[in-house]
Amino acid sequence: MKNIRNFCIIAHIDHGKSTIADGLLEMTHTVTQRELKSQLLDDMDLERERGITIKSHAIKMKYIASDKQEYILNLIDTPGHVDFSYEVSRSLAACEGAILIVDAAQGVEAQTISNLYLAIDAGLEIIPVINKIDLPSAMVDVVKNQIIDLIGCEADSIILASAKERKGISELLEAIVKLVPAPKGDPEAPLQALIFDSVFDAYRGAIAYVRVFNGVLRERDQIKFFVHGNEYMAEEIGVLGLKKIKTKILETGDVGYLISGIKDVHDTKVGDTITHVRNGALKPLPGYKEIKPMVYSGLYPSSSDDYEDLRDALDKFILNDSALIFTPETSAALGFGFRCGFLGMLHMEIVQERLEREFNLSIVTTLPNVEYEVYKKNGEKLTIDNPADLPDVGAIDRIEEPYVKAQIVTPSEYVGSIMKLAMEKRGVYKNTTYIDPTKADAEFEFPLSEIIFDFFDKLKSISRGYASLDYEYIGYRESELVKLDIMFNGDTVDALSIIVHKSKAFDYGRKVCTKLKDLIPRQMFEIAIQAAIGNKVISRTTVKAMRKNVLAKCYGGDITRKRKLLEKQKEGKKRMKQVGNVEIPQEAFLAVLQLDD
Amino acid sequence: MKKTACYVHIPFCDHKCIYCDFYSIITSDNISNYLNAIKKEIEYYSNIYSIDRELFTVYFGGGTPSLMNPAYIKEIINHIKNKFNVSVNAEITLETNPGTVDLNKFIEFKKAGINRISVGIQSFDKEELKFLTRIHDSETAADTINKAKQAGFENISLDLIFNLPGQTKEKWMYNLQRAVELPIKHISAYSLILEKGTILNKMVIDGKVKMQDEDYDAELYEETIDFLTASGFNQYEVSNFALPGYECIHNKAYWDYSEYLSFGTSAHSFLNNKRWWNYSSLKFYIAAVEKMNYVVAGSEELSHEQMMEEYVMLALRGEGLHLDKLENLFGNEWKNSNNEYISDLIKKGFITKKNNFLKFTSKGYALCDEILSNMS
Repeated sequence: MKNIRNFCIIAHIDHGKSTIADGLLEMTHTVTQRELKSQLLDDMDLERERGITIKSHAIKMKYIASDKQEYILNLIDTPGHVDFSYEVSRSLAACEGAILIVDAAQGVEAQTISNLYLAIDAGLEIIPVINKIDLPSAMVDVVKNQIIDLIGCEADSIILASAKERKGISELLEAIVKLVPAPKGDPEAPLQALIFDSVFDAYRGAIAYVRVFNGVLRERDQIKFFVHGNEYMAEEIGVLGLKKIKTKILETGDVGYLISGIKDVHDTKVGDTITHVRNGALKPLPGYKEIKPMVYSGLYPSSSDDYEDLRDALDKFILNDSALIFTPETSAALGFGFRCGFLGMLHMEIVQERLEREFNLSIVTTLPNVEYEVYKKNGEKLTIDNPADLPDVGAIDRIEEPYVKAQIVTPSEYVGSIMKLAMEKRGVYKNTTYIDPTKADAEFEFPLSEIIFDFFDKLKSISRGYASLDYEYIGYRESELVKLDIMFNGDTVDALSIIVHKSKAFDYGRKVCTKLKDLIPRQMFEIAIQAAIGNKVISRTTVKAMRKNVLAKCYGGDITRKRKLLEKQKEGKKRMKQVGNVEIPQEAFLAVLQLDD
Repeated sequence: MKKTACYVHIPFCDHKCIYCDFYSIITSDNISNYLNAIKKEIEYYSNIYSIDRELFTVYFGGGTPSLMNPAYIKEIINHIKNKFNVSVNAEITLETNPGTVDLNKFIEFKKAGINRISVGIQSFDKEELKFLTRIHDSETAADTINKAKQAGFENISLDLIFNLPGQTKEKWMYNLQRAVELPIKHISAYSLILEKGTILNKMVIDGKVKMQDEDYDAELYEETIDFLTASGFNQYEVSNFALPGYECIHNKAYWDYSEYLSFGTSAHSFLNNKRWWNYSSLKFYIAAVEKMNYVVAGSEELSHEQMMEEYVMLALRGEGLHLDKLENLFGNEWKNSNNEYISDLIKKGFITKKNNFLKFTSKGYALCDEILSNMS
């Protein structure tokens, strides 16, 4: 146990987490250069394309240090996006140390800070690394000072690296051995193993990635899980090299995997503790949380014939994603579909994209929203994840919405415009600290609903891409919220209803009506598009009736072509959604996501 | 005897007009080779289809058929008459462009057997004719009609194009007025279509020309219908108007879902539920026919649904849809699935129904494609 080092890497996107990891794997001969595909740890296509590690993995390395002793180094990878902060916290909990990577040209970013604080809170030893020092735009001294200010370390304890050139990797390996504490724990105590990740395998079922804190886990042990109390047998255990390597035993301090005939990842929840059925631990390891979706949206098949396919796809999908939840719902406009809950917008986009890619489905998504708590005058409390479900205004005493604490790290010159953006987004300014004279760390509180859509894009554009954002949930607060309905010729389009702050309703209504006017094709009658709060119409646009649509010529040689054109038009109409008589193209439901100013 | 329409394509033109997407060539090479090929093709198909079949129309379209020597046309007509049964009073049309014929030539065409002339006037306005790159001026346009009349043609039609870029309502109404004052029996009034691959399309893409909007097009169209109807013309198709009894029998054959047999480049035929078409390339067509006596570039066997769809589409674009006839041919599935929509269209004034006969109103004709695409 004294020669085990469990550690993770904390880095902002693109600061070089994957290349540092690659360097460690190569230098410890865990993989050869040839085996080393770029970004080895990110094995889903989607992850590679986005350049983000979405699901964490772990890998075991053997390293003979300068003291001639062999060490086991377990690198536990962490997701890099705010949507997955709970998973990050559980990965951190499985480690004793963390490598903090900061890009020499970019400096400290919001995500670096927030994950760093999580790591410090988890009591991890931090090894600071400045990466990409060979870039022409590197500002090594500036970044050094930022790191010193942030964690209070000595300047010479910061490792200077260029992972691409494999510079600084051997110093890093030595530092891991020297600085990261060996795991503590009692081999004699009852088993306590933390699940820090789990994945689904079509043949083996759920595979849990575990860190043993106390006791030992042997093959064929009878085990149980604290969250649901179910008992299983440890069919196969092992450690993680490039592939899974079977072992008979996982000892205190070890990191490895467990297969126990569990059919999907809902029974191997991240953060849960595994113990023995007999002589088991009395208490789980601390820190488990039931993860709750933060963002909800309706998912509908483009063609109503595909409803069953969508259901099957979602059923299969959640085998591998315990964070996604879905329940059937019906929309007058979109037909049968599902209300889905996601950890955040990235999670939502990934789910949609994978459903379309891996299951070959075409999906219409409704405007995402947060979950509201509605207190009725009769004392009843409702939780609303679909604006269409909001009760009558008259019955509502108050509505509360989720708030987040947001951290924005930015070059100081953009602080002014960020303040302005924050105010537009109903942000409450808390304070600003300066990481160094040129870089500020501003803290705000925001309604979650204000920052889930376009906030990040806007932040990036007003700061020329330099500002970064991280946030965490802090609780529900009362707000003056109203439901805004969109009507076509008097019929409410349920899928376009939105809960919005009263001060923004008018502006939003105007923009939606204007945008829809351009997206709804002219039809054989005039279409009034109205935005209304309750019975009060606050905005209106009109799509004029179509006056002419006929090809002038149709003779012998045109008939085949004309019929094919007609068939295509009919096909196109089938894909339209219908509200009353009005045909609505699917883009209209998505377009409300991108309202211009 | 099965009644069948016959089309002959003459691809030769003096030049290419900016809006034209028909297959045409501007050299006179191969004119005689083409004649031989057409004759071979006629002979080939007559061996298969002439039995129990009577051609009740022959239509020379183009290109510019009137560019040809009357003897050329005569040879084709005679060949058809030799190889097929042709009705005694068959309608035999020649598409004619102003500036390509004089009185004598008209007389010769008449002698060759032509009994209907369709003149591609397009406009009586100098500027518009220039824009359309037509070779004639407005005087020649009127003169051509008068010469045809003088040569003894009773059945004369003319083509006009409206909704040209920048065309005012006054200018269009002037064109219509000029048209009805001439000794004609039939008018085809086409809204300008922007076809891919035309010079006009390129001009629009390059921003040199701006097409007029849909609402204006609709206004011109509705005025056209009103004006021509008031002048005694009967609208019997989206773009076609005739004095009573002078509807084009050949074109009506397409819209009534009659069979047709066609010869020449890019010509389409429709017989026994099958449609096929020839190559557009003149050289390719000639070479292939010389070798095999016929050539087919593509074909389709129509399913019951496709035939029904075409039948409805053509009938509604044309004089109207006879529900009893439709039911006899295709059963009652169309009626059952569209009953409700039809009632709605009647209520809203897009369609009229008399004795189980559905016919578009002028508002309905204008939205023909939209309405058809709403039908199931």
